[in-house]
Amino acid sequence: MKRRNFLQYLASSGFLAMLNSGGLQAAYSPSIRYLRPPGSHDEKKFLSKCIRCGKCGENCPNRCIKFFSIENGISSLDTPYITPREQACILCMKCGDVCPTGAIPKIEYKAEPIMKEVKMGVARVDRNLCLSFQGKTCGVCYRACPLQDLAIRTGMLEQPHVLDKCVGCGLCERSCIQIPQAIRVIPKYNG
Amino acid sequence: MYTNTTGHTSYTKIQWVIMETKDLHATSKLRHLNKLRWLSLSIVFIMLVLLPFIHLYQTYEAAHAYDLLTPTEKLISDTVEGLTSPFVNEPEELSVVKGNTWSGTLFGLKLSDPLAVVGQVMASLSLYWPFIITAFIPVIATLLFGRIYCGWICPATLIYELNDSLAAWLRKAGLPVSRRKLDRRIKYVVLAVGIVLSMYFGAIMFGSIYPPAIVGREIYYAIALGGFGAGAVFFLLTLLFDLMVSRRGFCRYVCPGGALYSILGRYRIFRIKRNVETCNDCAKCNVVCQFGLDPLQDNFGMECNNCTACIAVCPTDALTFTVNTKDVPFQGPGHLGHKYRKDKGDKT
Repeated sequence: MKRRNFLQYLASSGFLAMLNSGGLQAAYSPSIRYLRPPGSHDEKKFLSKCIRCGKCGENCPNRCIKFFSIENGISSLDTPYITPREQACILCMKCGDVCPTGAIPKIEYKAEPIMKEVKMGVARVDRNLCLSFQGKTCGVCYRACPLQDLAIRTGMLEQPHVLDKCVGCGLCERSCIQIPQAIRVIPKYNG
Repeated sequence: MYTNTTGHTSYTKIQWVIMETKDLHATSKLRHLNKLRWLSLSIVFIMLVLLPFIHLYQTYEAAHAYDLLTPTEKLISDTVEGLTSPFVNEPEELSVVKGNTWSGTLFGLKLSDPLAVVGQVMASLSLYWPFIITAFIPVIATLLFGRIYCGWICPATLIYELNDSLAAWLRKAGLPVSRRKLDRRIKYVVLAVGIVLSMYFGAIMFGSIYPPAIVGREIYYAIALGGFGAGAVFFLLTLLFDLMVSRRGFCRYVCPGGALYSILGRYRIFRIKRNVETCNDCAKCNVVCQFGLDPLQDNFGMECNNCTACIAVCPTDALTFTVNTKDVPFQGPGHLGHKYRKDKGDKT
């Protein structure tokens, strides 16, 4: 193979790899677990509507909205995300108020519309890790939940049970005293 | 004093004419526009630096935990509170100014870059009118003044112009600073390719290569989130491109926003025109023009960003704003210049 051909091959394969791995696939099967801001559309629609202006993060009083660098592919570059274990969403809905493009729709700051429209993910309990399921009464996740008895209820020994009204804000995951956390939010893009 | 072959009498006469015209036009206020432009650029840039601090202050207030702040955070909180408390009662009220020049809120008025609208419409293939109308005012301004955003508001322009001054210093120090001329149509290709890629990926691609968006965003990242993102590297590369390849090369040859504004400003209403009667062919305007335009040949074209540096430097006030949708064709050499006098056979 001539050097020129080799270099051409290298450049074009690199470009194709960038198009495929960074662009299309990473957005739909990411290797990292993150949440989009509350009320966001599904991943594909969100990425097509977001213009990466960063106003959602600039308005978040809780400083939970961070921004992707290139770790989640080119399509996700500079888009907002939330890592619930670090800082979870308090559902103040201020990001939707300022989003200029409707990528994060405007949702009223009331329990009913929030439960209806917001679906960042669903919390899931790992019974092998959860203290309450090990016989040590805990109940921290229940106390942390902003939608107590609607999104989560406790049984015997404060054992948590997630209900279908869970919006996936991640406050339970953030508050869990186990390391690693025994309750975590499974983002909606993972099914 | 002027003992050259043209004879010192005619030379001094030209000097006299220049001095006369200078006296006539000394009241021209237009030469101060460049200072006003620097003021505008500085205000935008300072706002972009202040807004992340204001956001931090708001989060500290929202947390109700002043005593838990670190000394640095307390300093930020106290400083912003001291600066803003004369104007607002509640920290919440500071939210009237948010965002950056890519898309922002200014006292309730939502403004967006037309490039953001174009990219978003092409990426989502849908029209979301509340967003599209936010670009209305910038589009009107562009239709009137051409690339006025590039010259007067763009936060990257401030850095690029300082970078150009740095290039001048490097040149004086003897370092080679390249001023290559490329094809200015490259940026339209960048715009078209960006639109196609946005449609292919289903995500707007301009936000990552458009300097004003990068600058606003990276300042926020650096101050509020504790570190620069990927865009900062790209922006540094564009600065190097300007130094090592072409003067203001990114704005002239690559910037997709510049391309869009050039297209919108093709038939702009207000444009700079050379007044041939008072021009003396000194060519200072051509030298000072960072976009490499040719005011001396009446060739402003689509690219002029209304920076008014040529107006400020002109010794005879021959450059003014006029109302005209087209540049005038070349009017010939300036009437106060050597060439015009020679062609007329004026030997006095």
